[in-house]
Amino acid sequence: MSFFELLSQSLPLLMQGLSLTLELAAVSLAIAMVLGIIASLMGMSKNPVFRAINRAFVAIIRGTPLLVQGFFIYFGITGVLGVRMSAFTAGVIALSLNAGGYMSEIFRGGIQAVDPGQTEAARSLGLSKSQTTWRIVIPQAIRICIPSVVNQWCITIKDTSIISVLGFAELTKIGQQIIARTFRSFEVWIMVGILYFVVIYLLTVLAHVVERKVSLD
Amino acid sequence: MIKVEISGLHKSFGDNEILKGIDCNIETGEVVCVIGPSGSGKSTFLRCINCLEQPTSGTIKVDGHVMDENAKNIDELREDVGMVFQQFNLFPHLSVLNNITIAPILRKKMGKEEAERTARDLLARVGLADKADAMPRSLSGGQKQRVAIARALAMKPGLMLFDEPTSALDPEMVGEVLDVMRQLAEEGMTMVCVTHEMGFARQVADRVLFIDGGVIAEEGTPNEIFGNPQSERLQGFLNAVAEA
Repeated sequence: MSFFELLSQSLPLLMQGLSLTLELAAVSLAIAMVLGIIASLMGMSKNPVFRAINRAFVAIIRGTPLLVQGFFIYFGITGVLGVRMSAFTAGVIALSLNAGGYMSEIFRGGIQAVDPGQTEAARSLGLSKSQTTWRIVIPQAIRICIPSVVNQWCITIKDTSIISVLGFAELTKIGQQIIARTFRSFEVWIMVGILYFVVIYLLTVLAHVVERKVSLD
Repeated sequence: MIKVEISGLHKSFGDNEILKGIDCNIETGEVVCVIGPSGSGKSTFLRCINCLEQPTSGTIKVDGHVMDENAKNIDELREDVGMVFQQFNLFPHLSVLNNITIAPILRKKMGKEEAERTARDLLARVGLADKADAMPRSLSGGQKQRVAIARALAMKPGLMLFDEPTSALDPEMVGEVLDVMRQLAEEGMTMVCVTHEMGFARQVADRVLFIDGGVIAEEGTPNEIFGNPQSERLQGFLNAVAEA
């Protein structure tokens, strides 16, 4: 089979895999963003209980491999609780918790990186704490966070390949299946690699445009 | 009429006592300049007046209202006390116009159009009518500081605090900021200015406070302070400044 025959046979399957990869990443990242915001607010809360919860959450996420988190959710929790869960659902939970933990730290860092003089100026004008947070601090923190958030998006998109061991046919798994039939490791992994690369490259280009557009420098 | 009433003001950061008992009244319409060596507590004194620093003990009253960080109405009390910072602290994500209108719109529930009209008037007053739509990053230091003054004035404060407003400026821009402040003083604004500009203090101040070691070491009219300093510390400070 020539390379082009292999390509034309594999590509439709690989694109199916890619679309599942993107679906998994998009759902997980959307949840992770919300989770990250909530977790970072807890981390900066005056309430010590909230802060402790955030610290424990971040420590567990950072301290254990994604693969272990995925297995724990898919096999561990479902076994103990006797619930059924699709591999995709387990993958979404694992990826969103994982990315959410890192996002939490990114957001906290971004908010704390805003010059304290901004808060002082806003409060001196009479703006309330929440007006200061939402009108002055957060818009600047978002700009500071963009590069790190995009970085985390790239990582999570690629991490979907790890979580595929739970058993669903995303891009990497499809690649393995094609190789099992064709024994063409070299070419197929190049195709798979290029597909990941293109997605992430487009994302970073887009992020760069956004970053330049909202830049304050 | 007394605008600001400060009694027994102490402020410590941890074990470090910065202000060691300050008593001082400021009359309505009075221009008070605060001078003194760096680290003497001048800025801390100023920042206590609008509660950016919560006093460790002592009270500060503005128009008879106690300034307390934990007071329910602290936001409203601060509306009447404008502040201008050494580092300008313009909001970098907002245009010049929006920097000025944000507080009147959010706090005074002023309509957008009225707020913008007021803002344009204020910009004209500080000589920056053509910069309404500019972003802060495109302004020079002197222009930023004049916008910051306009932003504070937009809340129609009865008292303006200036925290070394010209210290971060290139020398050629100091004059344009001092001119705006001078004009404000002539219009009868009550002002407290921490400054290193002795010429300005001499010219514009009704009263000069020399703060050293966390207390008001000497106070008087500009003539008394600059013409006939009593304490050795003040004499030493003025000599050091004159040599610079």
